[in-house]
Amino acid sequence: MNGTEIIYLLLATPLLFATLAFLACLLGKLATSLVTLINFIGVLVLLILSGLTVYIIFCEGQILSANLWWHVDALSGIFIALLGIIGFITAMYSIGYMNHELRHGEISVRGLCCYYGFFQLFLFTMLLAITTNNLIVMWVAIEATTLSSTFLVGLYGQKSSLEAAWKYIIICTIGVAFGLYGTVLVYADAASLMTDPSLAVFWTEVVKYPEIFDPTLMHIAFVFILLGFGTKMGLFPMHAWLPDAHSEAPSPASALLSAVLLNCALLVVLRYFIIIAGVIGDSFPKMLLLILGFLSVGFAAFFIIVQRDIKRLLAYSSVENMGLIAIAIAIGGPLGTFAALLHTINHSLAKTLLFCGSGNILLKYGTRDMSVVKGLLKIAPITSVLFIAGALALGGMPPFNVFVSEFMLVIASIQSGSIWLTVLLLLLLTVVLGGLVKMAAKVSFGVPPEAVSKGELGFMAVAPMAILLALMLLMGTYIPPSVKDYIHRATEIIMISSQFELVKASEQPLHNQINLSKLELVSLGQGSAQ
Amino acid sequence: MTESFIINNLAGMLVVTSILLILVKRLITSIIVFSLQSAILVTIFFVIAYFMDAHELYSWAITSIVTKVILVPSILYLAFHKIKESNASYKAIPIPIIILLAAIILLVCYFVVAPVKLPLTQTLKPVLAVSLALFFIGLMCIISQRNIVKQIFGYCLMENGSHLTLSLLAFRVPELVEIGVTTDAIFAVIIMSYFAKRIYRDLRTLDANKLNVLKG
Repeated sequence: MNGTEIIYLLLATPLLFATLAFLACLLGKLATSLVTLINFIGVLVLLILSGLTVYIIFCEGQILSANLWWHVDALSGIFIALLGIIGFITAMYSIGYMNHELRHGEISVRGLCCYYGFFQLFLFTMLLAITTNNLIVMWVAIEATTLSSTFLVGLYGQKSSLEAAWKYIIICTIGVAFGLYGTVLVYADAASLMTDPSLAVFWTEVVKYPEIFDPTLMHIAFVFILLGFGTKMGLFPMHAWLPDAHSEAPSPASALLSAVLLNCALLVVLRYFIIIAGVIGDSFPKMLLLILGFLSVGFAAFFIIVQRDIKRLLAYSSVENMGLIAIAIAIGGPLGTFAALLHTINHSLAKTLLFCGSGNILLKYGTRDMSVVKGLLKIAPITSVLFIAGALALGGMPPFNVFVSEFMLVIASIQSGSIWLTVLLLLLLTVVLGGLVKMAAKVSFGVPPEAVSKGELGFMAVAPMAILLALMLLMGTYIPPSVKDYIHRATEIIMISSQFELVKASEQPLHNQINLSKLELVSLGQGSAQ
Repeated sequence: MTESFIINNLAGMLVVTSILLILVKRLITSIIVFSLQSAILVTIFFVIAYFMDAHELYSWAITSIVTKVILVPSILYLAFHKIKESNASYKAIPIPIIILLAAIILLVCYFVVAPVKLPLTQTLKPVLAVSLALFFIGLMCIISQRNIVKQIFGYCLMENGSHLTLSLLAFRVPELVEIGVTTDAIFAVIIMSYFAKRIYRDLRTLDANKLNVLKG
């Protein structure tokens, strides 16, 4: 199977299964097990296909196909792999979770079909954002992720979930509209100056000619891009939708929002970062990322420590982690950039685990309020242990994965010479750890309310969490060489523009070496274009 | 300079209709004003396409007739004409302040677009400024108005603004992209209307101030 075919298959799969899930609505009450099966097969096929895509990228460097319309490289490969894995795990978790909700009358059979339909549609729109090479389609796809996931947020139809859905769609469509301005500025500037204007819409082409752009416009464009896609990424102060949407969606959907959607927006920001840093140098974009990153971490840390609602706490933790990733990109260098990408993976795994755990808690206790949820260790010991481990991991405790990437980030920060920033960062990370430990302790210990029955929720509610914890331990103790190699390659892609800066500063002797790597990229691109 | 005279006057009318859209109270009037504004937008597309030989803009104009002049207003009418509350203007910012803000937005946009090089001709600069202003006036509408139906109109204004910018700066994008952008816009209006109706059905209000359960 070649690259072009695999991308089409990858995109067609969730679209097909979304259609099937919506069609299952017509069967009425019989649809329950059928639609669950449809969804499961869908994500299973998607997992296999995303694995294959990642493998092809690994062998060939990148896939560039269909007259440049599709492009995946090591950088997007990471996000495809995450989408495949997290999509599969959350779908697996959905089986137990949604059936429980159905039995208890929280949703109807039709609601279940819609849930799975939009689940698959959501996966499709995110895949589109990751795989497209067309800058404006990238924008269209990000906007479409909002539209497809609004229904997941408002699924329960309660007052609070409708409010969350409304805020989500309004804030994100406004935010992403700013992103359109950034996109159009980059495209229009490229189109007016490139020899073949029809190529100006493709990322792989635009990134080749940093010298043609107008620097003033690119400054404005990056501000728009960061405001626009930063909204979707959950950066402060545009994050207002995030705690509401993440806490009101069904738990598996929350995991998908937090662990995959935010990353898709991050990928788009990174793509523009690469283009724009090549034109105006990376100091301006990095400064903006650093400011927003620190604001996000600081603000979220405060909310994590005072939060009583478990899922809102986890949502603020997403803001915090996206902030950390922004800081890591801003610190830059091989180590900082590597840390950013590694942290993206680690955060996704940890956050999915915790959202699944919070889902189990919600089903058991019927509330997310930490002053009511107590004694989980006695009620459901396995869930509780996994939840505690997840919370400690997310807080950055060894031997789990998040520790590794946060440690790298701190080292990179020290290396960059900004001691005060490092100290501030460490302080904020400590506050976050405190908040997460407080949550785990409050939930796990104490006397459980009498009305709550003892016992786990079943295999399907615990297995996904166990798989995630195993993955997190693996990533925390021994990162497989292939994964490391992959992240290294992605790091190189992000750093291409910064290397150009170095070249400009000290013309020779770096010149030959750097140009070579750029040339390699370009020739690779032309080699696999079909 | 007849063409720039026509185009600039049309652009001026876009600004007037957008402010009018914020100020009018009744749903049906808002829908008519929006439809009118979209019609002016379409005329601008046609005029630019004719005078500047930008044939790609004809397809933008035709899609806009279908979507903005007909489809979006009909969707909004069908969704809300039976709901009396969609005419209500809850606590909103006073009219003089809105007009003042719109003037400031227009002025700022005029200076912001100064460094932009237009692919067609520099005489269209004022239109570009207006398109950006339309976007921000739409944003102001969403922030200043508390009726969530009015907020949908605000979003439609933002869309008109961004689509005008898109057509001025990026009129040569492949048609598939144009279809994508338009489809997104239509679906956004449909989904917003759906949720606004659900909110009215369950909460019996369209007041955004009443959506205040989620905090902290």
